[in-house]
Amino acid sequence: MARYLFFRLLDMVPTVFLVLTMVFIAMRILPGDPALVALGPNADGGQLEAFREKMGLNEPLGLQYVTFLSNAVRFDFGHSLMSDVPIGTLIANNLPHTIYLTIASVVLGLVMGIPFGVYAATQRNKLPDSALRIYSLIGYAIPDFYLAAVLLIVFSLNLGWFPINGEGSGFWDGLHHIFLPALTLAMLKSAFLGRLTRTSLLEVLGRDYVRTARAKGARESRVIYRHALRNAMLPLSTGIGISILATLSGSVAIELVFNRPGIGRLLINAIQERDYPVIQAGVMMFAFFVILVNLAMDIVYLIADPRIRMKS
Amino acid sequence: MTDARLSDFPVDDLISREALADERGLGDVVRQVIFGRISTQVAFFVVVVFVVVAILAPWIAPYDPVRQSILQINKHPSWDHWLGTDQFGRDVLSRMIHGSRNSLIFGLLSPVFAAFFGTILGVSAGYFGGIVDRLISRIVDMLMAFPELLLAILIAAALGGSFWNIVVVLTVAFTPGFARVARASTLAVKQEPYVEAAVAAGVSTPLIIFRHIVPNIAAPIVVLMTLWSASSIRIEATLSFLGIGTQPPNPSWGNIIRDGLSNMFATQWPIVAGGLAITIVVLAISILGDSVRDVLDPETAR
Amino acid sequence: MSEALLDIKDLTIEFGSGSQPLRVVDNISFAVSLGETVGIVGESGSGKSMTALSVLRLVPEGARVSGQIIFEGRDLLKLPKREMPAIRGKEIGMIFQEPMSSLNPLMTIGDQIDEAIRLHEDIPAPERRKRVLALLRLVGMPDPENRLSAYPDQFSGGMRQRVMAAIAMACNPKLLIADEPTTALDVTIQAQVLAMMLDIRARFNSSILLITHDLGVVAEICERVVVMYAGRILEDADARSLFSNARHPYTQGLLRSVPTLNDTRKRLYQIPGSVPPAGTIKAGCPFRPRCSVRMERCAVEMPPLRTYDPGHRVACWATAEAAA
Repeated sequence: MARYLFFRLLDMVPTVFLVLTMVFIAMRILPGDPALVALGPNADGGQLEAFREKMGLNEPLGLQYVTFLSNAVRFDFGHSLMSDVPIGTLIANNLPHTIYLTIASVVLGLVMGIPFGVYAATQRNKLPDSALRIYSLIGYAIPDFYLAAVLLIVFSLNLGWFPINGEGSGFWDGLHHIFLPALTLAMLKSAFLGRLTRTSLLEVLGRDYVRTARAKGARESRVIYRHALRNAMLPLSTGIGISILATLSGSVAIELVFNRPGIGRLLINAIQERDYPVIQAGVMMFAFFVILVNLAMDIVYLIADPRIRMKS
Repeated sequence: MTDARLSDFPVDDLISREALADERGLGDVVRQVIFGRISTQVAFFVVVVFVVVAILAPWIAPYDPVRQSILQINKHPSWDHWLGTDQFGRDVLSRMIHGSRNSLIFGLLSPVFAAFFGTILGVSAGYFGGIVDRLISRIVDMLMAFPELLLAILIAAALGGSFWNIVVVLTVAFTPGFARVARASTLAVKQEPYVEAAVAAGVSTPLIIFRHIVPNIAAPIVVLMTLWSASSIRIEATLSFLGIGTQPPNPSWGNIIRDGLSNMFATQWPIVAGGLAITIVVLAISILGDSVRDVLDPETAR
Repeated sequence: MSEALLDIKDLTIEFGSGSQPLRVVDNISFAVSLGETVGIVGESGSGKSMTALSVLRLVPEGARVSGQIIFEGRDLLKLPKREMPAIRGKEIGMIFQEPMSSLNPLMTIGDQIDEAIRLHEDIPAPERRKRVLALLRLVGMPDPENRLSAYPDQFSGGMRQRVMAAIAMACNPKLLIADEPTTALDVTIQAQVLAMMLDIRARFNSSILLITHDLGVVAEICERVVVMYAGRILEDADARSLFSNARHPYTQGLLRSVPTLNDTRKRLYQIPGSVPPAGTIKAGCPFRPRCSVRMERCAVEMPPLRTYDPGHRVACWATAEAAA
């Protein structure tokens, strides 16, 4: 198992390297002079030159690349062009909010989606099953920012039950603020997870070992929760991993709608302000997130499935 | 996988012997898709209506979508302005109609481009194997780890939003999926006796690829194209909403909602109209996509 | 015949709805006495597995089961659904055909056997552990202490079938149903599993209902044999008189197609034709198209099971005519 983990971590190295290289290339194939793009058409020659010097743009490309890599692995992203705040600080201020929102959404999504999926699977081709089918179709089609806007208009603007924007202070106020954003993402995730739960569970319920469990005298609830659902969790955990990543990308728009701090809003604001070091850092943060979640999913698989555990 | 939800359909499942051995003509397939279920017929009708509206936009839109009018700001729906006006006094219905062009064109263009590049990559990887396969598969696997939406946001963040940039963004985001399907299908077809026979007979490689491989992997690729044109429309809407897609004053459903949100205290009609349009089109195309899959690929149909 | 533990009367199992349901088991009746080993023999599609599953009411969803399945005086088919779990595993144990897929891949075999005990008996964990080990020894598992925490994937098919048997015997059931327990196994392993079953029978004195297509297996352990074909019982006799004096042309054909050691035939006998798909025989004897002694009457009327010697029932017009 340790061996497997070691190789899995080793396997990440080229991926991280590739991501960094792509970010480096992307930031340098931008049309036009980055200094001009960053400072705008009104900047004079001296300002442009100072900018190039500061960003190391006058160095040879190879050296720039090496500097870029070494800074990236040390998590040194430089300073924001707009506020001159170290980007590390910006990330430290925003990252917890994004993580908080992601966790709240995924947990809520699981709590809503899995029981719905289980219920639909046990009531196959009956009303709950059709309800889930429609729910998941609409959940697939509706854009997250639109659902967020609708919830915002109905529950905050018209009914006044929830605050319109911000992150709140303190635990209860924070919970009050995060509820609608988290609910938005959770509804969409539960549509996906509910459908996936139903499909995986139905597949597992047809397996021979489920029949064995029934033949032992296990009651239906035990058959479903102890035998079938545990086995269905394996394909489901891939879905949960995908869901976490989707929630992460969805959080960008949600942070914008609810005007919450977070990496997504940081990135989008940076794009609008052409704050390239921040864009670069934001892109890398998301990329690392993706790599980390994928790694975590592999480890979950390793722990949950004895078959994989034995082989490694 | 697109925003998680497309992974409802595991990519490898899109390939089946049935689909590979399909001998129905294109006409039969189209007929079977359209005259399948009632829901499919409705979906088809909806898509046709939206496409016709997009094509005829300049002629049927009652107003200029970008003309501002101080006197007409934040009007609620009326006979003059069916969907009201926005904070600049622009007619929302006209913006919706013109916006449909920007929204739909990406849904059609990027899956086609992505299918093209993805097929080239996938077929090369599957057919030639060895180092080519390892390199392509490695990059594809890495890109597949990212949700398409996130990939699109990250690329758009770096490139900035112009028409062709968005096409590039969506194409890059979708290409890995096509490459994976094309590679798997190619590997399957390569084992078929008629391909092995052709190789043994000394038929040239390009001829084998174009005469034998490509026609036989077309079904899963087409299924994927339909399913992803829905995602493509949603992702373009998201990018435009985030301000990194279609740039104002050019309308698209995504930036109509963006403008609407900053003006939501005055009028909420633009948000409702834009969101409903996206939802309905994406829903209709997904239903259509499901039917295409059911017809072309009965094995995975549920 | 002694007291019946299991008495199946007029059992019919149908799939599908409407005016043309698919009848996979057609009005069969037979009994299993206390301590008796009964074999149900038939080709695939004869309805023998469905019959076995119906006893535990585990037939797939959508099947309609009618008739009576009387176990210890109670009709299992009339029992409320929620009372079945108390009977499954406790009164009636079952071994399935597919050892490779019949065990939960995520649970250790120790837990899976333990569960079978815990579901029915309220005894402390250390004693359950002792029982699990005893069961594993009984089914011939080498080194059981070290196998408790192993997962099914670490076992061969034969070993898994032993685990299945341990689960089925966990609560010392009065009836053990074994659905083709040896079919998926290698020939040498088959012999070991059969020996294990004989051993189980000797120690527990359970009744066994063995479902198989293999007459060799039947000859090895069964006291009585029920021959099924296309959902019907064609012959029901004690093993000795069946093997020495089969009366139904189908059974005779089956026996002739079994190779023996002192076989001088150039080719094995083969019954011409194949089993008709379920539901295609509308009237008359289902074996008629393949039968060498068929008569006109066979096409119109299904022959009833008629008793010849004590305990030997045969459903065949030709047999009836010959006896008359």
